[in-house]
Amino acid sequence: MTLSPERLSGTAPGRAAQTADRPRTVRRGGARRRAAGAALVFLAPTLLIFGYFAWWPIAQSAVLAFQQTNLVDPAEWVGWRNFEVLFADPLLPRAALNTLWFTALSLAIGLPVPLLCAVLMSELRRGGTLARILAYLPVVIPPVVSVLLWKVFFSPGETGVVNSLLAAIGLGPLPWLQSPELAMPSLVIVATWSGAGTAILIYLAALTGVSTELYEAAELDGASVWQRILHITLPQMRGVILVLLLLQIIGAIQVFTEPYVMTDGGPANATVTVLLMIYRYAFLFGNYGVATALSLLLAIVLVIVSAIYLRLTRSWSTR
Amino acid sequence: MHQRTRRALAALAVVPVLAGVAACSSSGDAPESSGSGDEEVTISIMGKPAATNTAAVELFERQVAAFEEANPNITIEASDVPWDAKTFTTRLAGGSAPTLLRVPLTEPPALIERGQVADIADVAAELESFDDLNPRVMQFLEDDGAVYGIPEKSYAFGLVYNRDLFEQAGLDPDSPPETWEEVREYAKQISDATGKTGFGEITTNNSGGWHLTGYGYTFGGRVIEQNSDGTWAAAFNDDASRDVMELWKAMRWEDDSLGDNVLGKQEDLVAEFTAGNVGMWVSAPPDVYPNYIAAGGDPAAFGAGPMPQGGADATLAGATVLMVSGTATEAEKRAAVKWIEWRALRPNYDLEVAAETAKASAADGLPVGVPVAPIFSQEAYDAYRDAIAEYVNVPVENFAPYVASLEAFEYVPEPAVASQEIYAALDPVVQAVLTDPDADIDALLDDAEARVNQILAQYAS
Repeated sequence: MTLSPERLSGTAPGRAAQTADRPRTVRRGGARRRAAGAALVFLAPTLLIFGYFAWWPIAQSAVLAFQQTNLVDPAEWVGWRNFEVLFADPLLPRAALNTLWFTALSLAIGLPVPLLCAVLMSELRRGGTLARILAYLPVVIPPVVSVLLWKVFFSPGETGVVNSLLAAIGLGPLPWLQSPELAMPSLVIVATWSGAGTAILIYLAALTGVSTELYEAAELDGASVWQRILHITLPQMRGVILVLLLLQIIGAIQVFTEPYVMTDGGPANATVTVLLMIYRYAFLFGNYGVATALSLLLAIVLVIVSAIYLRLTRSWSTR
Repeated sequence: MHQRTRRALAALAVVPVLAGVAACSSSGDAPESSGSGDEEVTISIMGKPAATNTAAVELFERQVAAFEEANPNITIEASDVPWDAKTFTTRLAGGSAPTLLRVPLTEPPALIERGQVADIADVAAELESFDDLNPRVMQFLEDDGAVYGIPEKSYAFGLVYNRDLFEQAGLDPDSPPETWEEVREYAKQISDATGKTGFGEITTNNSGGWHLTGYGYTFGGRVIEQNSDGTWAAAFNDDASRDVMELWKAMRWEDDSLGDNVLGKQEDLVAEFTAGNVGMWVSAPPDVYPNYIAAGGDPAAFGAGPMPQGGADATLAGATVLMVSGTATEAEKRAAVKWIEWRALRPNYDLEVAAETAKASAADGLPVGVPVAPIFSQEAYDAYRDAIAEYVNVPVENFAPYVASLEAFEYVPEPAVASQEIYAALDPVVQAVLTDPDADIDALLDDAEARVNQILAQYAS
């Protein structure tokens, strides 16, 4: 899982809206309309810019999914043919399954690890700042650099960094990226390592919002550290956990950098993901129509996943 | 959850997915036709050497200055960014694709198919040297009277090897292996004696499919064939491919001579080879050599042998090709071809220019005289070699086994359609054999055949 700061900052208005009190509707038609008109004038430049740079390309690419173009001659309408080509591609089910496998693994590893780190770090009496810096450091390293670094770490021979560490405890050497079975878990380890810092910081920020009186009361009642975490910390952080979980699902489904740089989808298609397929269709095969068709499908799937998730969790997060 | 949150999250989900592809969604304008007079024209060209190679950059800049002086109406904007399909398509969409493309010979079929490069037949025909261009190379660039490119240099697959490791393993560095059985023996001997990788193999970024294709040719195989009705079909599910894969399997799992890092691309292998960790591998020796030297490789340790054979006496041929973007105007096309003549062709047939260029290159410390498969006739090439003889600073004798093989083998081109897609479909096959000791070769070939036929169904000729 990878959480980019852009994606996370996008949740801010949502969370603010969630916690802010709703204004009561008051019948004051004229004044309200004038206020709305003024607001629109102020908003117009932003809306135009956002519309031009974000929504116009989206609309254009939705159109491109039904066209074929070589970017030189005018695009040609082909109806559903791009989708037919896509569904006839035997790699598509494989890529979809691989993407789900990556998502499942990154939830299994990528969700509890940062949460655990954040909770443990918040319990630290000394060295908290150092721990935060160390935890956040991987996020500062450019993704391609950290991925290439890990590629060296995962070197398959006995001299590989990870294998040398394993050898110290009498294990290995393992083939890591060279093995169809181990390649995907290896990528998840890298993605978790490079993305966990951001999640840890958010969890730590959320932890400061947990009322200290609850802890004091629990301590008076003789609760242990683990009981405090289980019965106070986690329930209090439910909202943040749920949002980060959704962002993680969305981020994991769009995984690209790790398989592109480390394995190029190999070995034997073990790490081909949907985004890698989109990339290959667009930039390797020059078939932009099919690439956009697949992007469109992926976007639809993500919207549906988000909608289902939010509906399922609405009752928890607003409780 | 609040309505607005939901919308924000939905937007988050959609934007990053679509934005990437949308960047290339606008279609470019049709090329304008304009006169061919001496109007002012600016062309952007690829092929400037990398900034790290300061000597080559200086020579290049001198050539640009001389060209602009000779052609005052033409301005050159040179870029050192190498060919990359991704940047090309993005720039094409944005209307800023380079006028002159410098691409490996794997690219022209797809670029021609998609109509992204211009037919330069009328301008090229005016070139003094055009008719002398080697038909073995031009066959890949001409189609029904149309000319889509001019070769800058050409090559054929051969064996690149480390002479030092040969000696350490008790092998004669002047007699590289000529058959695949010998390659297998030598590789085992090298890895047993030195602990290094006996034979290096590449498998990602379509290089696995590229090598399977090239190795298959040496057993008499072909990747695709055209039916009488113009449609194409996969032709690689045969003994030629099986022989190649059996050989790989034996070398990887029985002999342990392929090393354990088999998931890489050509650049990775060049780095390993330069560091002296690889005994032999297959590539285009003249193309590898400059990179090897630039990375600090020892000239004396570099060896180039013939493409190992499985009985067919054939080798995969390639070239670096200069093509003109499909969006170029007539004036830009004309200017681009003039530059091709100036920089790429003249130093090969105009003996005075050849000597001057060689002298300048040698003075700058660049490799001079790397033996290549000639882009002109053998006579023209021999005259060229004589003209530059005094400036040659490459150990030409180390290339002798490769050069001797060039005339002996049949040059087989890469698949005529969908080459990159086919290679991409074959990569996993090669990776499977090299990463899974129990890989089922027949099943892998069956799967790949179905996949490639599905790709080819979109291409009727």
